[in-house]
Amino acid sequence: MNTEHHVSFADAAIFDFLERADDAELDGLDFGVIGMDDASHVTRYNRFESIAAGLSPDRVLGHALFTVVAPCMNNFMIAQRFEDAQQDGSALDDTIDYVLTLRMRPVKVKLRLLARPGSALRYVLVHRQT
Amino acid sequence: MSAPVEQEYEALLQFMYMAPIGLVQTLADGEITMVNPLCAQLLMPLSPDGQLANLFTALEAVVPDLRQRVREFPDAYGTICDAQQVPISTGQAGRRQHQVLSLTLLKLDAERLMAVLSDVTQSVRRERELRQSQAWINTLAIGLSDYALVSLDHRGCVKGWNPSISRITGFSREQVEGRSLSMFYPADAMSDQRVLDRLHEADLTGWSLDEGWCSRADGGRYWGSCLIAPLHDSDDTPADELAYSLIIRDVSDRREAAEAMLKAVSCDHLTGLFNRRAFVEAAELEMQRWARSPRPLSLVMIDADHFKRINDQYGHVTGDGVLRHLAASMTATFRAMDVLGRFGGEEFIVLLPDTSVEGAELVAQRLCRLIEATPAAVGEHTVRYTVSAGVAAMDADATDFDALVQRADEALYAAKARGRNRVERWQAATQPAAVR
Repeated sequence: MNTEHHVSFADAAIFDFLERADDAELDGLDFGVIGMDDASHVTRYNRFESIAAGLSPDRVLGHALFTVVAPCMNNFMIAQRFEDAQQDGSALDDTIDYVLTLRMRPVKVKLRLLARPGSALRYVLVHRQT
Repeated sequence: MSAPVEQEYEALLQFMYMAPIGLVQTLADGEITMVNPLCAQLLMPLSPDGQLANLFTALEAVVPDLRQRVREFPDAYGTICDAQQVPISTGQAGRRQHQVLSLTLLKLDAERLMAVLSDVTQSVRRERELRQSQAWINTLAIGLSDYALVSLDHRGCVKGWNPSISRITGFSREQVEGRSLSMFYPADAMSDQRVLDRLHEADLTGWSLDEGWCSRADGGRYWGSCLIAPLHDSDDTPADELAYSLIIRDVSDRREAAEAMLKAVSCDHLTGLFNRRAFVEAAELEMQRWARSPRPLSLVMIDADHFKRINDQYGHVTGDGVLRHLAASMTATFRAMDVLGRFGGEEFIVLLPDTSVEGAELVAQRLCRLIEATPAAVGEHTVRYTVSAGVAAMDADATDFDALVQRADEALYAAKARGRNRVERWQAATQPAAVR
């Protein structure tokens, strides 16, 4: 199946897609994808996000999301939600309005925060609001 | 060979992303042109509109006069505010977090401002603790005054006698043995529960120190520094074998300096009551005590009725005089162990430890009647005014201090709605969630 044009930011079944998508498929998306492991280290970083933030994947992969890559998400609105879900062993699928500081400019975005028990990775999806 | 400019640019960008301090550049009207991630982390929870378009808007709730200060800043270039401490409270209901931000704002030129924001919660706390220990070390090192050494049992009652107790406090052996250490304080300053709290805090941190008015056997007062330290050495000691020592020093000669320092750090300039930050800190200590062992704990919110009219009619100077009058009336009405604060504008707040909601309501009503009967004399004016108050008590359903404030606030709102110059008690069933 040719997925890249069918998968949208708000897709209900997006978690399954993210779990099996290869790098090329993630790079084909028109929104940002950041995947992190249970220690919050970035393990996936797609092209859209890389270009928006101005950082190549090798500067980001393996680093802690909330302290090194995106400190702006390190508050109760985002990091806390992931922590809570991790602690409770519950699923997380929240979409919130937020402002990222992409290349030092305030940029309005929608963030979709995704986690589910038993999955190795958790995801932040970034959709620019126009 | 230097790295290609793109790579250097990328490294620079990442440097800015990772900088552990918030940086933001704005236009003269506060519109944000550049902002780094840490700044967004600190500002987003404060932003009333969920946006980060304007710095003044994002900080409006916590530094309301920023826009005005920028407008009134006379120079073409310079520091508009320098490491100003801004207390904030963020988080979801039930898990509020109290932080202190430091804000520095520079005017770069007519069009541009730059701000530096950082979270200084920890260092502010450490600084205060350090000042406190320093104060105590000073007493030990340079204090020439005598001291009383008192041994206490697990309930804070005096166990052994020695002549130093009589030298400092004037009490005799018969008067003190077996009695609670609260006898060394003015009658309204130390409840039995507060005694247990202090013993517990001494267990936790190794000591509990306070400085304030103490009373002698003849009723005379002196400014005392009182240190409680545990004598038992481990947590395994059975509860009824816990023992403590209490050292009381008469430091009356330092009272003015100590009070001045406390005032500078903790008090509202106008009224001398605790400022909001000092109040929240004191309240959080009470909340910790409550969480450890629930006991009656009440909160009163007080608001001067039609205060805007007073300002409009008599001017702000007289308005300030009325607020001072209200603060003085509060000090006269509430007990020494109650925590009195100015919460903002014409809104005041009192935390009453070991007091039921009925008790708090009674005192609040007394204040109401006192204000009604005693006009404020300010300069040539005699201003009659009234106050409204809302009373609420802590219980298991109130998740934290903010929830308690919310209840008292709702009760205050009800008092206003029912005609002012009155006290209302918060009621769970009948109280609709107030929207103000």
